[in-house]
Amino acid sequence: MFSPFNFFRVQCKFFAHGACLKGEHCEFSHDWKAAPNNICTFYQKGMCAYGSRCRYEHVKPSRSHSPVPSSAAELSFSVVQPSGTAGYDACSSPALITERSAANGSSHTPSRLAWGEKVGHQDLPESAVEARSMKSVDPSDQSICSFAAAGACPRGNKCPHIHGDTCPTCAKQCLHPYRPQEREEHMKTCEKMQKHLEALRHSQEIECSVCLERVLSKPVAAERKFGILSECDHPFCISCIRNWRGSSPASGLDINAALRACPICRKLSYFVIPSVIWYSSKEEKLEIVDSYKKKLKSIDCKHFDFGNGTCPFGTSCFYKHAYRDGTLEEVVLRHLGDEDGNTVIVKEIRFHLSN
Amino acid sequence: MVDFARVQKELQECNRDFEVSGIRVVPKSEANLAHLLGTIPGPLGTPYEGGTFKIDINLTDGYPFEPPKMKFVTKVWHPNISSQSGAICLDILKDQWSPALTLKTALLSIQALLSAPEPDDPQDAVVAQQYLREHHTFLGTARYWTEAFAMTSSLDVEEKVKKLVEMGFPETLVRSALDSVGGDENLALEKLCSG
Repeated sequence: MFSPFNFFRVQCKFFAHGACLKGEHCEFSHDWKAAPNNICTFYQKGMCAYGSRCRYEHVKPSRSHSPVPSSAAELSFSVVQPSGTAGYDACSSPALITERSAANGSSHTPSRLAWGEKVGHQDLPESAVEARSMKSVDPSDQSICSFAAAGACPRGNKCPHIHGDTCPTCAKQCLHPYRPQEREEHMKTCEKMQKHLEALRHSQEIECSVCLERVLSKPVAAERKFGILSECDHPFCISCIRNWRGSSPASGLDINAALRACPICRKLSYFVIPSVIWYSSKEEKLEIVDSYKKKLKSIDCKHFDFGNGTCPFGTSCFYKHAYRDGTLEEVVLRHLGDEDGNTVIVKEIRFHLSN
Repeated sequence: MVDFARVQKELQECNRDFEVSGIRVVPKSEANLAHLLGTIPGPLGTPYEGGTFKIDINLTDGYPFEPPKMKFVTKVWHPNISSQSGAICLDILKDQWSPALTLKTALLSIQALLSAPEPDDPQDAVVAQQYLREHHTFLGTARYWTEAFAMTSSLDVEEKVKKLVEMGFPETLVRSALDSVGGDENLALEKLCSG
């Protein structure tokens, strides 16, 4: 059952999940004992978005050493097998295959190493030795125990993997002791996430002063959003504040004094920013406003219509004013001195012919 | 459409601290929350002290984005309140309305208006004239009106009902007539006679 050919092959991911459509014709191994491919290709390419939380192993492609075997069985295999099927020893870990092929692709073609039945005898002991020595040399290439990083490692102190240091924010053992960059990255994202969670929890409590309901608990999902006023810090839900500002002036209410003003403090705000989260500091508010404006700036203005139309908001429009060829509208403000000696910005100059 | 969820919340909130504010809002009928009756105590240190003033509240479809329509049911002698119709001249009930205001805060504002009349922006010119020229007479009239119309105890009401029923009017009609004129017997009689 344990044919050398099968042993070479990497376990089929689909098979592992119980559903490979290729069945017997699959080029990957359908054998539970085959080594699973546990290497993160994103990390090898240079950047894995999951960082220390990645469920695959983070092994650098440049070094040809095997990651710490994930099970005792695998470990014993590579030791027991050397004489008989010596050729497969060095390749017992699929990680090594990829690493080696990536590192010195010129001397061995990857396909030959991976799928060929025979491997040159000479270079094997060498690489095996190399692999073992490297393992003890650079601990930063070892990935940390993912069980410990996720919360608890069942093997405790007997675990063959390094256990990461405890992150002060998420209290999980996910800080790699020998990768300062990754540590920092994790702590940064972790802190950010914690802050976000905190803000979200805080936001849950906030009531809209118009409908008197908790904004994030409103029955209609689309209404579970805050409408932030640019000039003051009173919370409303987006539907209430838009409703109020959109009231028809026919109702006898003054547009500038009443409708555009904050219902609570009556401070005039010229725009409302939708946000799913409420802020607790000036910086956070600025961040929300900036990211909202940035998003709008990437959308083409319907009124400007690539230069075919005129936008009533002119230079203060939040949307993108660009022509079809991608060039942005040039903003030219005409400054004129008025009779009091002040400078005024002129919107448009028209000449009138008089008879 | 009136936001009845909000009205319901407002009523609960308002009646919870009745002990402190003395302001009460109740629906005229359980079925319709758009028609309510508010009561405010006359502010201390004014000719309205000791009186309980009833205010008729009608919520328009736009509430809370439009102001509620409020008018005095109880007759009041005040420069900014019509002595004839009970209409109130108050900016927050008109162009200065804000959806953050509630029935309770609006009633509080009316209470404040009672203690601080604005004779220069009058609703009732006769009262305003008197307020400015014969302040003493104004105080006397206001006091008299308060005693006559705003201090009807429940016992008095029962007495009036009895009286009017004896005149031959059905009791339910008598009660609603008395309610709509703020408890004044003569006005109620007039109303009953007119139809």
